[in-house]
Amino acid sequence: MVIRMSYSRVVEQSDQAIRELTEAGEQILGYIYPHFPLEIAMAHGLLPSLVRTSPSAGGGYESSLQTFACSLTRNIFSQRASGHLTTFSGIVFSGNTCDSLQNVGEVWRKRFPDDKTFRLTYPAAIPSESSVTFLAEELRKFSVAIDSEFKMPFSEELFKDAVALISEIRESLQMLYAARVLSPKLLEYSTLSSLITGFLTAPTTSVLDNVLEIRSSTMEDLEMQVDRDLVSELQNAFLRKDLMDIGKFDESISIRLLLVGGMIETNALSEFLKSVPNFSEDMIILDLLSYGFKTAFTPSISLVGDPFENSARAILGSLGEPTQEGLSDRVRFLKEILSKLSINGLIICEQSFCDPDEFEAPSLARAAEDLQVPSVRLPIDPELSDRVRLEGRIQTFLETLM
Amino acid sequence: MIAVTEQKKEKAYRLLKSSALLQQIMFRYMMEGQIASEEGNLAWVTSGFPVEIPVAMNIGISYPEQYGAVVGSQRMGPELCGFAEGLGYSQELCSYARSSIGSVKHPDQSPLGGLPTPQALLACNNICGTVLRWYDTVSELTGAPVFLLDTPPLEGEQPEHHRDYVRKGLDKLVDFLEQVFGKPLADERMQEVALYSTEAVGLWTQCLEACKAKPSPLNCADRFLTMAPIVSLRGTDYVKDFYVSLLAEVKERISNGVGAIKEEKIRLLWDNIPPWFTIFRFFNGLAKRGVVFPADTYTHAWTGSIEGDNLFDSVVSIYSNVYLNKGLDAKIDKMCQLIQNYDLDGFIMFSVRSCKRYSLGQLVSKELVTERTGVPGVVIEGDMVDSRLFNEAQIQMRVDALLEMFA
Ligand code: SF4
Ligand code: SF4
Repeated sequence: MVIRMSYSRVVEQSDQAIRELTEAGEQILGYIYPHFPLEIAMAHGLLPSLVRTSPSAGGGYESSLQTFACSLTRNIFSQRASGHLTTFSGIVFSGNTCDSLQNVGEVWRKRFPDDKTFRLTYPAAIPSESSVTFLAEELRKFSVAIDSEFKMPFSEELFKDAVALISEIRESLQMLYAARVLSPKLLEYSTLSSLITGFLTAPTTSVLDNVLEIRSSTMEDLEMQVDRDLVSELQNAFLRKDLMDIGKFDESISIRLLLVGGMIETNALSEFLKSVPNFSEDMIILDLLSYGFKTAFTPSISLVGDPFENSARAILGSLGEPTQEGLSDRVRFLKEILSKLSINGLIICEQSFCDPDEFEAPSLARAAEDLQVPSVRLPIDPELSDRVRLEGRIQTFLETLM
Repeated sequence: MIAVTEQKKEKAYRLLKSSALLQQIMFRYMMEGQIASEEGNLAWVTSGFPVEIPVAMNIGISYPEQYGAVVGSQRMGPELCGFAEGLGYSQELCSYARSSIGSVKHPDQSPLGGLPTPQALLACNNICGTVLRWYDTVSELTGAPVFLLDTPPLEGEQPEHHRDYVRKGLDKLVDFLEQVFGKPLADERMQEVALYSTEAVGLWTQCLEACKAKPSPLNCADRFLTMAPIVSLRGTDYVKDFYVSLLAEVKERISNGVGAIKEEKIRLLWDNIPPWFTIFRFFNGLAKRGVVFPADTYTHAWTGSIEGDNLFDSVVSIYSNVYLNKGLDAKIDKMCQLIQNYDLDGFIMFSVRSCKRYSLGQLVSKELVTERTGVPGVVIEGDMVDSRLFNEAQIQMRVDALLEMFA
């Protein structure tokens, strides 16, 4: 059975859920950088929600930001300048991730002084004990700031509940990712990305129900084709960021694509790709995007010991971002995936004016070239302002692979 | 016979006598870099890196950002940036990075034959996040390993866990350098280097502060050129000689009532890196109209003394607290202070498309600085190395509009 779920329905559902939750008195804490400590926000009784870009944000940033701020931050700033984003009780900006977000956070505070904004600073260096300690202290500071701003103290009980919920959603998403690699036809990529969107928008029990429902039907179907242990093996290999023990996959599907990049919304991307003539979602074997794979494959938080240190360890345990040190590790992992999953086309997505993406892209393209895997670069913005040209680029790319 | 006396017209700006010494010491710096590279003993460092540590370990140093300034001044920016673009690096990225990547790829077509090949790349992200990615790219091209000293940006006072984190980073740095270059760090040598660095920074600070005088003894281009040794030779013994000489010249100008420009009418603040490819034309053009820049935010970034019982703790404070590593408020405060302390009439903010860390936020700070100081300012947009991103006519128009306010 092929499972379909309309992206717009999921987005609508989650937006609706957010509205209802807000009306019911729930406080929503917005965040932008993907590796957000969801469980800590939830331990304070807040609902963390990704501040999503809007394809129709238009302008509004011009008197505050230059055009060379990245298109994601410009889009979000424009939404706020036009009076949107009202469901958020506060917004968290990351520090030390990229120069755009660093500065935009500061500009935001000046332009919207009544907004409750927070800064959570991440270590940029390769994860080590000192970076875990640093991030743990940042999380502790963040927790104190939330408490003082919202008068909602950290609750151990809520934290445990949050860890259980988030872990279950993540593990299910991981399974679905692994299952799709084994059999991409089982679950449309757009459905998987919709589930992730739901999770990013509001990590609630109803999102978990959605994910579990799709997981169970997908796994049932999969079991008719392959051994379930294979899914776990692959899931664990992804979590370890090491595919050495995984056997090479067959090449029964002629075009096997990998999507890579940073802070690109997977649902927006899949909606766009679906609209390209001759493109089929089965071609996408995997993504390594920040709001996709990297969101799903964040390790679960241990409940033994200090919650802040354990959260820091989990956050730093996910696959590195282009904003962090560790390019050579990311390139190594990419090469393993390209070769073990028999990928024969790489789509490198770059948020326009995003320094981290634009610096990383040539290294990724060279890595693919080393393995004779053709690649295409896709400079993309939330408004898809260059849609026609991008469509043409993907079409031409597909033709070269056929 | 009628005697014709050719009277040489005095220029609107005055050249520094210390320039000759500057050239000599920068030549020495280049030669030392070359030799160090040949001996397998060269590290490239970012401008905000605690260079005193590798210098104390007797490791040779080269500064790619400074090389970027050379590329810019020799108007080679578009060509070298173009090489990097050919490798896939977007035109939207920092042009210091692009020109550096371009010159690594094509040293034969680069000024001075490119920077000497490094054996290690030392990046400190206290100035921006770009430096790490830039050095990662150079690492892919040269094979030299990268060390990142991670100095997370500050908001106000530096918390204890930030200090500890950066402090541990310094220990890792020493281990890294010992491993790559096989040289230990001796306490005495570190003290000696710290002293040289502190003396040089002290002299440089005096030169900067002397510009409070009217007329100002130094203009923007003067400071951008004479800052080269403080950027690249902090911690060496011979850098002091240059700043002793520069300070003497500055003092002499002040006591003789001689300014950097012939006729000082308007005193402005400059914010950001200069457009290197037109630095003289731009500032000297304004000098002809009586505009001098007694202060700028960029050359004031190298301050602070490495001293006290624990030099590494001092290094942590100084290098975490650099201008670009602090928040927008600190930048606005700094601009307001400079405007007040140097008695400035207005300011020009150069919005450098290459440099998001320095430039994003300028639109807001312009408004706030004017609100607090009452002086007008203007934002002009362009680039420091890539002249393709510099629209001279548009910039001229904006500057004219500012100057009209003083008429
Ligand atoms: S898209 Fe890139 S530049 Fe923009 S916030 Fe994300 S990492 Fe930063
Ligand atoms: S981005 Fe800015 S601070 Fe960073 S290296 Fe380039 S010019 Fe310097």
